[in-house]
Amino acid sequence: MRVSGIDCGAKFVKALILDDDKILAKGSAASGFDQKASAQEALGKALKEAGFSMEELEHITATGTGKEEAAFAQTTVTEVGANAKAMSALHPSVRTVIDVGAEEGRAIRIDDKGKVVDFAINEKCAAGAGTFTETMARALEIKVEEIGPLSLKSQKAVPMNAQCAVFAESEVVSLIHAKHSKEDIARAVHDAIADRIASLSRKIGLEKDVALVGGVARNVGFVDSLKRDLQLDLLIPEDPEYSCALGAAYVALEKAKGG
Amino acid sequence: MMEKFKEWYEKRHDYAQEWKNKTGGKVVGYFCTYVPEEILYAAGVLPVRILGSHEPQDVTEPHIFGMYCPFCRDCLAQGLKGKYDYLDGIMIAQSCLHIRQTYTSWKIHKPVDFSYYLPMPNNVQSKRSLPYLKGELEVFKKAVEEWTGKTITDDDLNKGIEIMNTSRALTRKLYDLRKESNPPLSGLEAMYAVVASQMVDKKDYNETLQELLEKLPRRQLENSSKIRLMILGSEDDDTEFVEMVESLGAIFVVDDHCTGSRYFWNEVSSNGNPLEAIAARYVERVPCPSKDWPERTRIEHIKKLAQDWKVQGAVVIQQKFCDPHELDIPAIIKSLKEEGIPAQFLEFDVTVPIGQFKTRVEAFLEMLGEEDLY
Repeated sequence: MRVSGIDCGAKFVKALILDDDKILAKGSAASGFDQKASAQEALGKALKEAGFSMEELEHITATGTGKEEAAFAQTTVTEVGANAKAMSALHPSVRTVIDVGAEEGRAIRIDDKGKVVDFAINEKCAAGAGTFTETMARALEIKVEEIGPLSLKSQKAVPMNAQCAVFAESEVVSLIHAKHSKEDIARAVHDAIADRIASLSRKIGLEKDVALVGGVARNVGFVDSLKRDLQLDLLIPEDPEYSCALGAAYVALEKAKGG
Repeated sequence: MMEKFKEWYEKRHDYAQEWKNKTGGKVVGYFCTYVPEEILYAAGVLPVRILGSHEPQDVTEPHIFGMYCPFCRDCLAQGLKGKYDYLDGIMIAQSCLHIRQTYTSWKIHKPVDFSYYLPMPNNVQSKRSLPYLKGELEVFKKAVEEWTGKTITDDDLNKGIEIMNTSRALTRKLYDLRKESNPPLSGLEAMYAVVASQMVDKKDYNETLQELLEKLPRRQLENSSKIRLMILGSEDDDTEFVEMVESLGAIFVVDDHCTGSRYFWNEVSSNGNPLEAIAARYVERVPCPSKDWPERTRIEHIKKLAQDWKVQGAVVIQQKFCDPHELDIPAIIKSLKEEGIPAQFLEFDVTVPIGQFKTRVEAFLEMLGEEDLY
């Protein structure tokens, strides 16, 4: 049975196609001003890879900040519900899911049946989310893909207070003036985001196993900082930015089966 | 059916001005529900609660510290912008220092004929707070008498008590209807009613509500399978937020706010010395968190509300930087969770980020209704 989950995020729309439990294809597109077009584009890419048309999908479920814009979806689910669904299916031992996207950081606690027990989302502040690393990479004059590997080369921890993405940028500038190395500043940036995410997770009561998903899970520097802060190992699925889309696709599958 | 309350809430200034023109009476704006309105009613003065407008403003920065709560700044802005120029007096009873700063600053920059600071005791759990407050109420009564040039008799006080008690009893009946499995009114409508009750003459309010209570039990709202929520925390008249939540398949059935149930929950027992009876009411009422110590009595009250109104989940809100509530909220959330009531915490400002809050509320409702969804 062919279904799709589509995650309309703040920066990217991710679409994923399932044939029963098997992932057939994925596609993504930047979230533009026209969210409807972005959603179409992402799903179009996934459909092209899978080699069939939208009519052949039994059910589509949308999630993400812009889920209402995916007008072709029959049902919706929240990001919290989708993440819980995806991670409990992939790793049944997971009790906490940490999802760090472009503009939101979330921590979700789930029980052994995958039911959401509690969750917390960052307050209106980007310091605990992906956009923050982009701003910081710009201040360091490096590409955003480079900031992760760079921070792994750091020799020492430099404290930095990331209360606000804008003020943190000026703090990075003062670290540069204080002649700290690029590597150490890169690590300071990741330590700061990890701090925010760790306190968000502790708020809901961190329980093992812990999965990390969302686009920022691809940043090795951040993963290293978060592991050090939480002092635990993190389960990171393949293509972590597709976690919500996968969860939405599982919901679509249940709906298609008449659940 | 309930539009009158919304109209009063939205046109509070028009109402007060018309009231003045009609009666020739004086209007006093107050900042905190510890103000004993009974004594003002006894003197024929109309008390109106000063609330904010939920509109961004840029006039309070020189007068209030940036880390005082947005509510106290919003209130002060209303005064500085001249929205309340019809007031003859302002007053406050001691609760928290943020809102007291609003009062003080207003008094300096918008002088009025009568201004009064009532030193309401903070340690209401002490046996000595009742005689203390009774003494303060005597002084306050004298000040009102001097201002209005009219003696306030025990008979006047009893009339003041009666009108306040009637209003409280009627609003309680309105809240009791919300216990039903399909309440005949939404949380938004209840909010408009209880907040309007703080802005208009209780005589008008009581008449309108009395009439409504006769018809309301027969009213049926569509969609009877809503998730029952309670909302509690700091001052809250954010109708936009309540409306958004209730558009997502939930209904607010009860609250614990000073703008909501705490305002009218307790009545004055009307025997004996009226001033002492009034003082007892304010000492014994469901407390503001600034007065709820050393024992935290509000938690038991909140748990009881949740039980009696069959609440499935709680939205706990706090005005940003509201210290008294900051102190209480972790304990309240913990107790609710122990009762099997999940809680979602949200920080409010003059305007709330409705899109971001919608995402969080949707996820919260999804969590509460998960068995039905999948």
